[in-house]
Amino acid sequence: MKTIVKMENVSKDYGQGDVVVHALRGVNLEIAKGDFAALAGPSGSGKTTLLNMISGLDKPSAGKVWVDEAEVTAMGRTAKSRLRLNRIGFVFQAYNLIPVLTAYENAEYVLMLQGVAAKERKQKVMDLLKQVGLAGMEKRFPRELSGGQQQRVAIARAIAAEPALVLADEPTANVDSATAAALLDLMVQLNEERQATFLFSTHDQNVMDRSRRLILFKDGRIDQNGTPAELQANK
Amino acid sequence: MNHIFKLGWRSIWRNRRRTIITLSSMTLGLVLAVFFIAMAEGVYEKMTDDAVRMLGGHITLEHPEYRDAPAVDLTVPEVDRYRKDLEAIPAVESTKVLVLGQGVLKSGGGAVGITLIGVEPATEKLTSPMARKIVAGSYLKDDDTRKVLIGSQLARQLKLGKERDIKRIVSFWQSLFSVFDLPMDDSIAELARLHLAIGKKVVITSTNVDGDLVEELVRVRGIFKMGAPEMDGYLIQVPIDLARKVYGLGKNDVTQLGVVLKSADDQEVVLAAARRLTQGQPVTVLPWEDVLPDLAAYIRIDGGSNIIFQGIILFLIMFTIFNSILMSVLERTREFAVLLAIGTPPKVLRLQVMVETALIGLLGCVLGLGLGSLLAYFFQVNGMDLRGMMPEGSTVSGFAFDLIIYPKLSFEMLAWVGGLVFGAIMILGLYPMRKATRMPLADLLR
Repeated sequence: MKTIVKMENVSKDYGQGDVVVHALRGVNLEIAKGDFAALAGPSGSGKTTLLNMISGLDKPSAGKVWVDEAEVTAMGRTAKSRLRLNRIGFVFQAYNLIPVLTAYENAEYVLMLQGVAAKERKQKVMDLLKQVGLAGMEKRFPRELSGGQQQRVAIARAIAAEPALVLADEPTANVDSATAAALLDLMVQLNEERQATFLFSTHDQNVMDRSRRLILFKDGRIDQNGTPAELQANK
Repeated sequence: MNHIFKLGWRSIWRNRRRTIITLSSMTLGLVLAVFFIAMAEGVYEKMTDDAVRMLGGHITLEHPEYRDAPAVDLTVPEVDRYRKDLEAIPAVESTKVLVLGQGVLKSGGGAVGITLIGVEPATEKLTSPMARKIVAGSYLKDDDTRKVLIGSQLARQLKLGKERDIKRIVSFWQSLFSVFDLPMDDSIAELARLHLAIGKKVVITSTNVDGDLVEELVRVRGIFKMGAPEMDGYLIQVPIDLARKVYGLGKNDVTQLGVVLKSADDQEVVLAAARRLTQGQPVTVLPWEDVLPDLAAYIRIDGGSNIIFQGIILFLIMFTIFNSILMSVLERTREFAVLLAIGTPPKVLRLQVMVETALIGLLGCVLGLGLGSLLAYFFQVNGMDLRGMMPEGSTVSGFAFDLIIYPKLSFEMLAWVGGLVFGAIMILGLYPMRKATRMPLADLLR
């Protein structure tokens, strides 16, 4: 299967002099297109840093990163921005919707940046909001939505542009377990229907159980990497 | 582009209180700037207009040597031809001729050194503010031969009214006021003195072009009060033929040919035309600024200090606006980081900050210029009476400062002030704009 993410010997150090934190230590990783993978591990093990390296939000201290065969580590600011706009969708733990835009406008925003025609935009966004269970709530502002509903809008925004890769940083951490399960169902459905690759960072056992691939992180290194069944067998 | 405007417009109203405070301070600053600049323009225009209409016009034609050594024998040749040609220019309201000279005015009560202005009464009555400032008697007439118009202060100095007659009139009015129990001030005595001076004989003494001493007996036709001691105390007007007679000049001799314009804005055009007309002739054509250099210098200096003062106010207001825009960016760093993370190109984000800055700037300019214009226009129509705040008789370079002020609004002034403020705001917005896209994204999203 085609590789969507490739990391080669990626390291990231924070701080200077004697006080250096090694967030990532020589990570090598490949994620296949259409995968539904979870990064798990204790806090500070390097999960979020790894997502930031893939999306180009942060620069590695060493190593190279490719997304969809394009080398992220060799890109300038504008090229990275274009990559995120066209190839990567983001779901954040704290939803991070634009407070002055309605649910519809938040989901529509990326399509506007891409220059999608108004009619097509409207059709896409209405379908998406319906798919994420927010039909009838298009005109609500984020403050008028619950945490789970806001995360649904964030998911709709992340997949509106049909990205090759969706990066989700602990997407179920701020919602109750029922909402988390519903959000997970939604993401599994979107992964299957739209063939979008999902890569999560998570502490949630349910997310780990539903993932098709589990990458366990420890002290900035990949400790284990395989299907949940394989990892279970290795215990 | 539409979504950037929508996002910008909603963003500036997310902190309603801050935006209102920012707009209020900007509006207040612009209202003050527009009003005070319009007021100064109005004052300058009124002072200039009065001065040029009373003396040599917006443009003056005179002998090339007259400015260096004013003498009555330095006259303007071919006056009638120049007048005819100049009056044919559409921007010219009228032309006027003057004979300017020095002398002494004597009465039984004293003698005072004077500046004599020989005028054409009919022309002067239409153009000169002096004709509208008569407090006793009447203005000169074309058929007057031995009549003089003098200032109120000069009338007092020459003691033209007999003290006995003045006392009799004052005592009559005192008794009348006491019947109705009304208070009486010194103005009755002053009025009585001025009215008693009408028709009194005075003698103009001077030397003519041949150096001979000449004396002319004239009667007081009227008394003016311009409010400036420099004018009320030493200026006199006589019919131009009498002035020619006093100084021994010819029938058409004049020391100045003045051109009064319909609008001062046309000065440069008419000045050039007048210079073309007189090319090669022993005539110099001067703008009023060269004829009245003290007044022109005052307007330049006062205008400059006014601009500096308004500039300081606007400069301080700029900091409020800068602070407001910068705060608006700094408190939304996480939001900007999210926008960049989901793929917003940095230039689009910068554009959004610029749109927010421009919207605040435009709103402030529209409100400030609009309200400032309304305020200035109200006083432009009704006048602003400063007589209760400033002493009467305030003068600038010998010209009375009119205490009822009419501000002058102009599109050019509004465009300048608005353009300058908006431009400065956009420049100030560059730093927050740059700041919005130079962020440690990973740290902010953590």
